[in-house]
Amino acid sequence: MDIPAMRANFAKAAATGDEAPLYFYSHLFLSHPETREMFPVSMAHQRDRFFAALGEVVTRVDDLDALVPILRQLGRDHLKFGVLPAHYPAAGASLLATLERFDPEWTPELAKTWAEAYDVVATVMVQGAEEAAGQPAWWDADVVGHERRSLDVAVLRIRPRVRYDHLPGQSLSLETELRPRLWRYYSPANAPRPDGLIELHVKARDGGPVSSALVRSVGIGDVLRLGPPLGHLTVGEDSDRDLLLVAGGMGLAPLKAMVDQVARQGPPRRVDLFAGFRTEDQIYDRADLEQLAREHPWLSVTFAVSDDAVSSLAHGEVGDVVRRAGPWSSREVRVAGPEPMVTATVAGLREDGVPEQRMSSEVFAPSRPGPSVDGEVTE
Amino acid sequence: MTSAPSGDGSTGRGLTPADLRHVRFTRASMLHPGYVETEVDRVMHRVAEDLARHMAEKAQLREQVRTLQAQLNGAPAHEPPSEQAVRILASAQQTADNYVAEAEKFSRQVTGEARAEYEEAVRLARENAGAIIQAAQEAAARLTGPAPDGPDQSGGRTVAELEEQVAYLKAFGQACRVQLRSYLEALLSDVENEWGHADPAALPVPARPPARRIPEDADGDRSTTFEANTATENQGGEDAVNGVPAATGTRPA
Repeated sequence: MDIPAMRANFAKAAATGDEAPLYFYSHLFLSHPETREMFPVSMAHQRDRFFAALGEVVTRVDDLDALVPILRQLGRDHLKFGVLPAHYPAAGASLLATLERFDPEWTPELAKTWAEAYDVVATVMVQGAEEAAGQPAWWDADVVGHERRSLDVAVLRIRPRVRYDHLPGQSLSLETELRPRLWRYYSPANAPRPDGLIELHVKARDGGPVSSALVRSVGIGDVLRLGPPLGHLTVGEDSDRDLLLVAGGMGLAPLKAMVDQVARQGPPRRVDLFAGFRTEDQIYDRADLEQLAREHPWLSVTFAVSDDAVSSLAHGEVGDVVRRAGPWSSREVRVAGPEPMVTATVAGLREDGVPEQRMSSEVFAPSRPGPSVDGEVTE
Repeated sequence: MTSAPSGDGSTGRGLTPADLRHVRFTRASMLHPGYVETEVDRVMHRVAEDLARHMAEKAQLREQVRTLQAQLNGAPAHEPPSEQAVRILASAQQTADNYVAEAEKFSRQVTGEARAEYEEAVRLARENAGAIIQAAQEAAARLTGPAPDGPDQSGGRTVAELEEQVAYLKAFGQACRVQLRSYLEALLSDVENEWGHADPAALPVPARPPARRIPEDADGDRSTTFEANTATENQGGEDAVNGVPAATGTRPA
C-alpha cells in the first residue's frame, strides 16, 4: 500500500469541504437506494462526521494495531443502523468514485491501493460485527418513568426488553421513533440492576431535535432503541482507593452510576461527590442525591453554584470548591462535565498533587451525536 | 418411398425421436432387397436415443439461461450513476439539509428566548421574595427584638419556602406583639400599684420577659443585651422596656 499517495489523494478530496462527502452520499444512494433509509433526513452532520472519521482512519492506516480495535467497535456499532456485510463493497465503490472524481491525477495504482485499504477496513468492521453475533443489533427499551425535574431536564427510566450489560460510567446511544435515524449518546445514571432498569438524565438542548423530544414529547409507554454501550470512563474496579467524583451539570449521570456501583458491589470506599450547577434551581437530582447521602455513611454530596447570588450553597466553580475542600492527593478522581469545567478541574487537582494516572475525565455535552474514533463520547 | 416422417403436417415440430422410431421403409423390389431391415431398425433406434438426449440437454440449458437472465435482470444495475444524477440528488439533499437547519435554528431561538424569559421571571420572583423576607424580618425585629433567622440563611430558598417563612414571621411577630403588650401592661400596672412611689433605683431587673420564647441559640446574646441595657442605665421599668427593641442591634447580620 502506498500510504503517502493515499494521504495526498485524500487531502484533495478533503480540501473540497462539503463537496466530496456530498458527492459520496449521492453516489451511494443512487447506486444502492436501499442504503438511504439508514440515514436521517438531514445529512449535514453525517457528512462532516463521515469524512472526519475517514480522515482519522487514513492518518492511522499504517498503525493497524491501534486501528483494529476501533474499527471492530465501529463495525459492531454499525449493526444498529441495519448495516449488512453486503453494504461494505457498495460504500467502497462510491468512496473510490468520489476520490477519483476530485483528483485529476487519479491513477489505476491509486485505485488499487485504496481498494486494498478499504478492503482491510471493511473486513475488520465486518469481523467486529460478527463477533457480536450473540447480541441483538440493537435493544428495544420501554420508557417506564419520565419526570420533568426542571424547565429543561427530565429523568427517564427505561427497561430494555432483553438483558443489557453496561459498566457504570459508560454511555449508550439511543434513537426515538419521534426522531428517526438520529442517534444520541447518554450515560446511564445507575449501575446494572437486577430488574434491568436504566436511569437516564436528559437535558433539552435549545433546538436539539433528540434531546428536546426526549424531555418534552417522549412519555411512559414509548419505546427507545439502544445501541451497544461504550466509553472508557469507569470506576476502576482494580482499585479500592477512596473516590473523588466531580460533576458539572449533566456530567452527574455517569458519576451517580459510580456511586451506585460502590453501593451495590463495593469494595467499601469513601466517596465524595461534588456537583456543580449554575444556579440552585438547576440541581435537578438534589432530592435523590441527598437521600443517597443519608443512606450511605461513606458518601458525601456537596453542591456548588457558580452563578446564584442568593443561594446558601457553596459558591464558585465546582473545581475551585473541590480544591478548597482538599487535599485529595490520595484519591481516585473521576471528572465529568462540560469542557471548560473538566479542563479547569483536572488542571487544578493536578496542581494540588493528584497524580495524573489516578484521574480520568470525560467531556459531556447535553446531547452527543457520536463517539470519536477513539471511542470517546464527546460532542 | 418413405413414410414421410414429418408428413403429417406438424411442420413446426421438427424431427422427433418418436418419428424416427415409427419410420417404416417401403419394401424394395425382389431384385434389390435394399437394407437389411434389422440393421436399419438398430440405427434408427440409436439415432432416436441420441436425439432424445440432445433435446433434454437443450431444454436444461435453456432453463439455465432463463434463470441466469432472471438473476441478471433482478440484480441492481451496477452501472455507475451519471454525473448529472449525482448533481441533482446532491442539490436536493442540500435543500433538505437547509430546511432542517432552518427549523432547528428557529427552534433554538424560540426556546432560547423562552428560557431567558423564564430565568428572568424566576430571578425577579426570587429577588421580590428576598425583599419581602427582608422587610418581614426587619418588621419582626423592630417589633420583637432579634429575629430568629438572619437574612443570609433565608436567601436562596424557593419561593414557596420563602413565602412560608414570611407567613411564619408575620405570625411570630403578631404573637410577640401580643405577648409583649400584655407583659408591658402587667408590668406598668405593677409599677403603678406597688412600686409607683418607690425609688426608681430599687426597681429590680425583670426576671424573665415572655419574649424569651424564641430559639435557644440567639437567646443568651439577647438576654445579656437586655440585662446590660437595663443594668447599665439602671433606670425605671419603662426604660427596661425600651431596652427590648434596643437589642435589635445584636441580630445576626
